[in-house]
Amino acid sequence: MTPHPQAPAPRRRPLFDAELRVAALALGALLLLPALAPVWQVSEFTRYFSYMLLAASLGWVWGHCGLLCLGQGVFFGVGAYGMSVVTLGKLPFAPALVSSWAGLALGVGLAMLLAWLLGRLFFSARGIGGAFFGIVTLAVAVIAERVTINWDWLGGFNGLMNVPALRLGLNGGEEILDETASYYIALAVLAACLAALMALARSPWGRVLLAIRNHEPRAQALGIDVAREKTRAFTLGAALAGLAGALFVTQFNFASPPLIGFGISAEVLIWVALGGRGSVVSAALGALLVRLAESWLSQQLGDYWLLVLGSLFLVAVIAAPRGVFGFARAR
Amino acid sequence: MSGALTVVLDASNYVLILMLVALGLAIVFGLMNVINLAHGEFMMIGGYVVLLCHQAGLGVAWGMVLAPLAVAALGLLVEQLVVRRVYTRLLDTILATWGLSLVLKQSISLGFGPGSHSVPNPLPMAVSVFGQPYPAYRLFVMAVTVLVLVFTFWLFFRSNLGLTARCVIANRPMAACLGIDTRRLDRFTFAFGSGLAGLAGAVMAPLVSLDPQMGLGFLVPAFLSILVGGLGSVAAPLAGATAVGATDTLVATFFSPVWAQGVVFTLAIVLIRLFPDGIATRRRRVV
Repeated sequence: MTPHPQAPAPRRRPLFDAELRVAALALGALLLLPALAPVWQVSEFTRYFSYMLLAASLGWVWGHCGLLCLGQGVFFGVGAYGMSVVTLGKLPFAPALVSSWAGLALGVGLAMLLAWLLGRLFFSARGIGGAFFGIVTLAVAVIAERVTINWDWLGGFNGLMNVPALRLGLNGGEEILDETASYYIALAVLAACLAALMALARSPWGRVLLAIRNHEPRAQALGIDVAREKTRAFTLGAALAGLAGALFVTQFNFASPPLIGFGISAEVLIWVALGGRGSVVSAALGALLVRLAESWLSQQLGDYWLLVLGSLFLVAVIAAPRGVFGFARAR
Repeated sequence: MSGALTVVLDASNYVLILMLVALGLAIVFGLMNVINLAHGEFMMIGGYVVLLCHQAGLGVAWGMVLAPLAVAALGLLVEQLVVRRVYTRLLDTILATWGLSLVLKQSISLGFGPGSHSVPNPLPMAVSVFGQPYPAYRLFVMAVTVLVLVFTFWLFFRSNLGLTARCVIANRPMAACLGIDTRRLDRFTFAFGSGLAGLAGAVMAPLVSLDPQMGLGFLVPAFLSILVGGLGSVAAPLAGATAVGATDTLVATFFSPVWAQGVVFTLAIVLIRLFPDGIATRRRRVV
């Protein structure tokens, strides 16, 4: 039976679309980096991978799901502090538990719990819409920083120092201090998370989230439980941000209030806006681009660097909402 | 008894300033559907104009007259260059104004230094209120704020301009069809809202330490006031400001300033959750 003459032939999405191609290219380059770059740069890049994961989490939450979160840094900070508190043996009921795995679980778990609570509060019923959700998350970031500064157990204003590096043992063990090993571990985590996000974005659930992003009342009318899906997506984003924070602090060895507040939330928003909010890969590359630019330009521009960055961001929002790597997937 | 009076006056002081800031935000949002995250920075700039006048030898009083005008002019510029280009995309107005707030913060930081400054109090004496001494300047601030709020309401409800504005808020396309120049009204509204913030910053200048980051400290409570009070009427954000401001001052006085923001935020969340359209709104606002 011939198809109806007016129905277009179904279009098959190419398996290797632009996003995957760029991701593969970037991964290839990054795999080779330790062989070509000095050790200090390898360490820097290891930290950049955490930032890239954070940016990817915001790219997922904001770009794919349409949830403007102005406080994504809070989950990063929660992950960082969670990891620090455990590996420094500061848990009041279990001071002997210093496992990095437990730290990871606590950091990511708390971030997910916080996101889930916020989602439940603000997405249900006639919940807070996109714009006001952004403002609420901004308020959360401001308050989280304030609370952390005043909480002595978390080190207060000075934060927690001498956070140990990643330890693969069940409860302690040797710290991984070799820069190259840390680099590849962080790259592996980043690549795995990005691959998972890309797969999810192309999955039926990803399509549901796109439907919600594009036209929420219509999605609701089609029977999608909008509040539940938004909460799930937001929680996933927070989990990845928490993971990024936990990894970061094993590299940086220092957890402090700026990791949880308005500052880092602002930065990650800039990275994603400049890199491209259309895909998690472009968001992550945006983070890399901005951090690299900062390390090159901030010496020359000094105090003016932040002004330049803010202006670029402003211009990007007005004139180029798709960002530098704006090869958004075909939608 | 004396303590209670002081607390009430302090709370009123803060509530009135918050009302001024929140009203500016609410008017801009109600008329133009623009969420201005740089509003806190407009307030900060108002304070810095006073500082500039003081440093230039013109005196704090002239600074307070100039500040709202200067910030309103800045608002006009911002409206033309930034807001106009993104006002059809609501989420992008948030981002654009937020980027603007970063630029403004950095510019002030580069111009005046990242540290804090202070401006001398033009009325350092204390006045007797019901037998208790209270700073005269704070009473002046309250008086100015009340006057400006009353003026704004008069403008909104009793003048032709206000009538035009209410038409545009009610039904923008229809108002345009009736020949109202919505473009000019937008410009004026944004400038007016910014001017309100500038005035708030200017009168607060002698009472707080001026630093480039102070905007956020007022922006967050102002937005919470709007979320709590709702936008069903021009008075609704004021109800929200009362709730937020009173709670903040009371908790700061009886517990500690550190707890204040956390408690305010938690209370605001609860109220928003229970009353999604605001505590002062009876009908559902169609945005």
